[in-house]
This record gives sequence, structure tokens and C-alpha cells, in this order.
Amino acid sequence: MNNQKKMMQTFQQYLQEYKDAHFRLVYSYTKNREDALDVIQTSIEKALKAYQHKKYPEHLNSWFYRVLINTALDHLKSRKNIIPYDAELMEQTLITHDTYADFDLKHALDQLPTELKTIITLKYFEEMTFTGMSQILGENENTIKTKLYKALKWLKLDMEAKQYERNR
Amino acid sequence: MNETDKDKEKMDTAKLAYEAVKTPEQLSAVIENTFKKEQKRVARQPYIRSFQAVAALFMVFVLSINLNQSFAVAMGEIPILNHIVKVFSFRFDPIETEQVHANVEVPVITGLSNETLQATLNEKYLEENKKLFEAFKEEMKFIESEGGHLGVDSGYEVLTDTEQLLSIARYEVNTVGSSSTTMKYDTIDKQEGILITLPSLFKDESYIEVISKYLIEEMRAIMNEDEMKVYWVLEDDFAPFEQIKPDQNFYITAENKLVMSFDKYEVAPGYMGIVTMEIPTEIILDILVSDTYIK
Repeated sequence: MNNQKKMMQTFQQYLQEYKDAHFRLVYSYTKNREDALDVIQTSIEKALKAYQHKKYPEHLNSWFYRVLINTALDHLKSRKNIIPYDAELMEQTLITHDTYADFDLKHALDQLPTELKTIITLKYFEEMTFTGMSQILGENENTIKTKLYKALKWLKLDMEAKQYERNR
Repeated sequence: MNETDKDKEKMDTAKLAYEAVKTPEQLSAVIENTFKKEQKRVARQPYIRSFQAVAALFMVFVLSINLNQSFAVAMGEIPILNHIVKVFSFRFDPIETEQVHANVEVPVITGLSNETLQATLNEKYLEENKKLFEAFKEEMKFIESEGGHLGVDSGYEVLTDTEQLLSIARYEVNTVGSSSTTMKYDTIDKQEGILITLPSLFKDESYIEVISKYLIEEMRAIMNEDEMKVYWVLEDDFAPFEQIKPDQNFYITAENKLVMSFDKYEVAPGYMGIVTMEIPTEIILDILVSDTYIK
């Protein structure tokens, strides 16, 4: 079997194996099953185009997560339902919500700028290392840590210290 | 419970909600179909490129004719200049929705001195595509009520257009989940008004063996040189290619060379697409009826 065929087979197996993880990640952006499927399909198409040009990723998983996230964000932009980044308004919303006992963090997360939401998702839901996140987001680990800290602060969550310790 | 633990709990609750998202069953099929579609696209790429080149060289006149008009009327509108053999397009109204697409284009030959042959070919082309289009519309009703994707593309390419020869390739791509591509060729002697068949080129049936033997050796040699290329010509292949059909697809180039053509999956895996190979004239020289067409 030739190289390209082998690479594509590996990629297809990887997609089937991780389809649940991919789906819930994309769904966390689109909030809609049909759109999530569309985003995944477009992502695979983009990835396969790279394969056709014999560009094979070194870290398949990180690379494909990056493609998925970028495609999901493009999709949101095209849908024009992206939530404007308004720190002041957000802080107000969060404060109001925080007064309720069953403050819904999931809802609050959706109010975050997508960049910060992505970092929270990858770190706490997908339980990724900072190294892994750095490969996906193409930013250095310290930048990501700073942004995570910022996100947690906005969410009024007191868990940054603990998390940093675990990953140091 | 201190603040940190409470926040941890909040995060865990949010994580549970995140993980509770169920993957739709279709995702597996979406992955598979995307791969198949990509393979099809790649297989067709060199083909499209060569079509553009040929179109530029031979100036294929393209007309769009509404299907509602009768074919005879449409034919009447095509200017025929001094009995020069030309190929025009007859296009069915394209269909394009989110779920289905159909693009059916039929070649129409004009100016052949042998009008019977011309009428026979044109009628064959139109009939085949009419059937294709009707079958598609039937399937479309089903898809629109049951969901899914469906596509058909059919068209043609003028491969050779010299004083003497006209070779037309017609392709048909069906997409229903997976895709299938088939090719059909016609080669015409414009001056004599004859449709050239593969057996008619040779003195006897020995061409089957001679050409097959050459192709197998050539395919093995190509595989040795280029690891990206795969043909089913090795002893341990499941169903290796053994010999050409007596009426195997072929066409004749402007340089009077014989080219054999194989549909997708006929001699190679799907991603290789349509396989075409030129036969060196010297290996068939002795068995050719004449050097009129093949030199």
C-alpha cells in the first residue's frame, strides 16, 4: 500500500474513533446538530485537501482540533450569531447571575468571547495539557495560561491556582 | 464546602452537560462519504483540466437549449457552416438544490457527410441522457421526502478533432452515497462517415492478448517507479486485471495513437479514477488492418 493511502486510512480511523469528542467540541460552538455535522464535514474536506497536497500533520489530533475549531468559528461568523465581545455588559450579566444559587456556568461560558471559551473547553472539559493546547491554538503556553486566568476571573471561579499546580 | 470546591462542582456540572451531547448516528456516514467524495474529486481533477485544454484548442461551441423546446427545433437553430463537422452541447435544465444536483450535457454532432450515422449517434446520445435524467428525477422525489444526497453529472469531451478523426468521450458520474463514474467513447472517421470499433482496427482477435500483455507489463513498471500509483496487476491481487474486453473503451489521438481506457475500479482502486494508457504503435503494427487510423 502506498504512503498516501495509508495516511488517509489512518486519518479515517482516527475520525471514527474520536467522532464523539469532535462532535461535542463542535456542538459547543454551533449549538445545533445539523450545523455541527456540516462543520465536521467541511473540516474533513479541508484536511483531505492538505493530504492531497501530501501535507501530513505531525500531530494529527492537535492539527485536526485546530481545523475543527477554526471551521466552527468561521461557521459562527457566517451565521452572524457571534456574541459581541463586551466586557462590561458581560460582567454585569455574570454578577446578576451569580446571585442565584444554581448559577449556570454552562450558560455563562457561552457568554464568553469564543477564544476564552475554547480555552476553558479544552482545559476543563477535554482535560488537555497546556502543551497540547499550545499545539492546537498556535500560541505559547504562557499566553494560554494568562487567558485561562482571565476567563476564570470573568466567570468568577476560584480554581485557577489549583489547576495551575496540577499542570506545572 | 469552601469556595474552591463549590467552583469545582460548578465546573464539573458544566463538564457533564458538555459530555452529555449525543453524537448523531449519521456522523459515521458523513465521515465515510466525505472521504469517498474527495477520492472522486481527485480522480476527476486531471480530467477536468484536460477538458479545458481541449475545449480551448478545438473551440467547442456550446449552446444552452431549453429542454421544453423540441429537439428538432433546437437542432434547426444551430448554424451549419459548409459541412464542417462540429460538436455542440445540448443541455438539460440543471437542477441544483441543497440535496440534489443534476448537470446533464449531451453532445450533438453536426456536419457529418454520413447523415444516417450522425442521426444514429445523436439519437443515442440524447436517449441515453434522457433516460439518465428521468431516472434521476424519480430518485430525486425519494430523496426529497426521505432525505439524503443525490447527484448526477454527465457531459462529454472532444478528445480528438482532426481532418480525419473525431473522438468523443462521454462521462457519467452518479453520486448516491458513494459515486460511480463511467466513460463511453465514440471514434468517427469524418471523411468516410464510419464509426470505428476496436475489433475493426485489427486483422484478427490477437489484439486482445497483445494489448493486454503490454498493459500489464506497463502498469507493473509504473507501480515500481511511482509508489502513489496502484494497478491490480500483481499475482496476489484479489481479482487482477487479466485482459481487455474485445470492445474495451478506446479512442484515437490526433497523433493517430491508440489509447485504451478503463473505468473506475476496472483495473485499479477507485482513487486512481479513470485509467487511460497509450499503446505504442510498433507493438500492434503487424496486426493492424491498415495504417489509416493508427500510425
